Amino acid sequence: MSGEAERRWHPVASQYDVVPRHVFWGRLLGRELAVWRADDGYVNVWENRCLHRGVRLSVGTNDGRELVCRYHGWRYASRTAGCTYIPAHPADAPARTICNRTFPALERYGLVWSGEEPDGEPPVLDALEPGGAFALRGVTVRAPAEMVVDALSRHRFSPTDLIGAAADGNGPGPGGPVTVTGQDRYHVVLRAESADGGSASTAVFFAQPADADRTVVRAVLAGRPAPDSRIPVWRHHNTALTQLRDAVEAEARRRPPPEPMVAAIEEVPIHLSEVPEPAPKGRRAGLRVQVARKWPVAEDVAGFELVSIAGQLPTFQPGAHIDVHLPNGLVRQYSLTNGPGELDRYRIGVKLEPDGGGGSRSLHENVRVGDVLAVSEPRNNFPLRRDAVRTVLVAGGIGITPLLAMAQALRHQGLDFELHVFARSEDHIAFAELIDGLGESVTRHIGLSPSETGAALESVLAGPGPHEHVYVCGPGPMLDAARRIAAAGGRTDDTVHFEYFANPTDIDDSTTFTVELARSALSLEVPAGATIMEVLRANGVEVSSSCETGACGTCRVAVLDGEPVHNDVYLNDTEKQQGGEMMVCVSRAGGDRLVLDI
Amino acid sequence: MITLYDWELSANCYKVRLLMSILGLDHHAVPVDFYPGWEHKSAEFAKINPLGHIPVIDDDGYVLRDSHAILVYLAARYDKSGRWYPVDDPEVLGETASWLLFAEGTTNTASAARLYVNLGYDFDIDAVRAGAHRLFGVLDEHLWFREREGLDWVTSSPHPTIADLALFPDVALSEEGGVSREDYPALRRWTDRFRQIDGFTVMPGIFAPSRAAPPG
Repeated sequence: MSGEAERRWHPVASQYDVVPRHVFWGRLLGRELAVWRADDGYVNVWENRCLHRGVRLSVGTNDGRELVCRYHGWRYASRTAGCTYIPAHPADAPARTICNRTFPALERYGLVWSGEEPDGEPPVLDALEPGGAFALRGVTVRAPAEMVVDALSRHRFSPTDLIGAAADGNGPGPGGPVTVTGQDRYHVVLRAESADGGSASTAVFFAQPADADRTVVRAVLAGRPAPDSRIPVWRHHNTALTQLRDAVEAEARRRPPPEPMVAAIEEVPIHLSEVPEPAPKGRRAGLRVQVARKWPVAEDVAGFELVSIAGQLPTFQPGAHIDVHLPNGLVRQYSLTNGPGELDRYRIGVKLEPDGGGGSRSLHENVRVGDVLAVSEPRNNFPLRRDAVRTVLVAGGIGITPLLAMAQALRHQGLDFELHVFARSEDHIAFAELIDGLGESVTRHIGLSPSETGAALESVLAGPGPHEHVYVCGPGPMLDAARRIAAAGGRTDDTVHFEYFANPTDIDDSTTFTVELARSALSLEVPAGATIMEVLRANGVEVSSSCETGACGTCRVAVLDGEPVHNDVYLNDTEKQQGGEMMVCVSRAGGDRLVLDI
Repeated sequence: MITLYDWELSANCYKVRLLMSILGLDHHAVPVDFYPGWEHKSAEFAKINPLGHIPVIDDDGYVLRDSHAILVYLAARYDKSGRWYPVDDPEVLGETASWLLFAEGTTNTASAARLYVNLGYDFDIDAVRAGAHRLFGVLDEHLWFREREGLDWVTSSPHPTIADLALFPDVALSEEGGVSREDYPALRRWTDRFRQIDGFTVMPGIFAPSRAAPPG
């Protein structure tokens, strides 16, 4: 369907329209647009309809990092338009595939440019200096673009110098010839001279085809007028363009109305409307990222900033992690520490584990700025609820990383939270400057012995308030202590959330049993020494996975019958007792048979 | 205590509630069954306002009708800052009066279109919508130039006045009457700013401001 108009870049807004915390309501070729600037300066051009129920996103809230739909509060990240939170499902991480439609955007000549499927570059006009252009007030004309462009080719205005003189009360200087120095279907370049030829100004008049019968004239003057003559210049051009508008509209009313433009609304993608297929190949590294920065963020902790090599990084939610596929063949999980809407890069923190399996050592010693890494798309098995009255975040050591993302989201949204940072010393606090930015909500617990840590946790987790949720990430012994203390203090499993770095469980894999796969109609024997996951994969049944050690929760499946031996640290005690889910990477059968919903 | 003869869905009654909320004034509302009961046209209500209009206030025995008159009275009497109706600033006062008259125009057009759609009033709907668009176009252009002057509100005062307040409901509710604000970006930004005023309150059809952390 794409004709020339669809393949071009068009102006869709002026710099004056994309002010902080506002959503501009625009239109191009019959398609409504929601245009908004995030606090980091990024300008988003999105289809003006929430994919959930079709409500205009222009009545939503630009919170500086995300756009929040007015209807049901779904939150969409700047840059990707990916959904990061659904208030009606507070305990769930929205699927990464829930994403509004975006259009390319860039700023030039004081205007925001976009297009349906633009190829090439937006216009570069010799008449206009990118930094010296002066955008005028956009004027909407109820007429087709071709009529407007035709009228603009005969448009008249005064050179800027003469308008400046008018500001002194001397009246406008005598107008001279106006010549067309450039023109195509959607713009006209005009040069106005004074009668005596002493001064001249060039202006470019872009005709934005908002709809078949509606065109926005977005004009840009070459050169910025002196500050004290800007308002007279704006007024002069506004008056002239308003007269042009009235004349063109009068003419348009005499003609039969044009056929309206119909913007194609894309079908809901198949992956949103149907049950997804299992991931085809175990652990996938769908992204290639480049190390843009590597720097020490604490004692033995290196920070890495990862930028996309091609295309936009996918949406993440607070608590999400990525798998990093290392040069030495190992795969490790690292939490994203970014705040909401920070999608120009991923930021992770890597603690050096000298006695570990070599993953962190590889990142610390071998990976350098400029290196390319394969990483998975972000996965969130540690989702943050935002319906809690208060949220308590407890971080031990490098466990700060997912909680840092959570704390930034809570702070930005104005929700009540406290962050407790446990570290061996001040020098062991990773990302200290980000933590400082969280202000009063942070309490530091430095250099505590195990018993002192226990006492501090007793006080932090004492007396649960109503609708309070706790998130804990840190070393295993600290998590075990927190689990015990929270339970003893009357907190229920569903209000205390843990993320383990690793699974310390000693797994007995000497058992042999049968797994029956209800959906696949397969019955497989799991021998001693093999995991269910290995057996599934050997038989062509694919399951998603990430850590493959029973810590992350990615490979959990529903258990239809049989008694699982869990062996994981992802499910809480209540969930384990219910026996409704298990991790195929470490869980085994208590009896001789399990029926799984795969 | 101020008594307000009130109907929740009335834009003019909302103006009075809005100013009282911003000024922190308590009031007692007496609901008038405007629709479908037409109580404001009853013989009983004629004793309060023979014109058969709401809102009307009764401030300890001082009875006043007409929303804009009530805004003038309440601001002059109760606004300690003196900014909502600046009696000591002739220019801003003159502009305020001018825009209050303009707001009568939006009531007769944008608000009339809303009554046509919501309550089945018999208006020439094309004419009232066209009239609303003409006024919104004037207001949008005015506010665009105000922004360029570094000013946020309709008068030359750096602070909002009762003129902004009187204009806000008809503008913010216009889509109910089928009057789109798509072509009025400066007007849309002004409604965003207005909703951030301390003490702002809502009515059905008007959204609350968000509570995200402030920019910066």
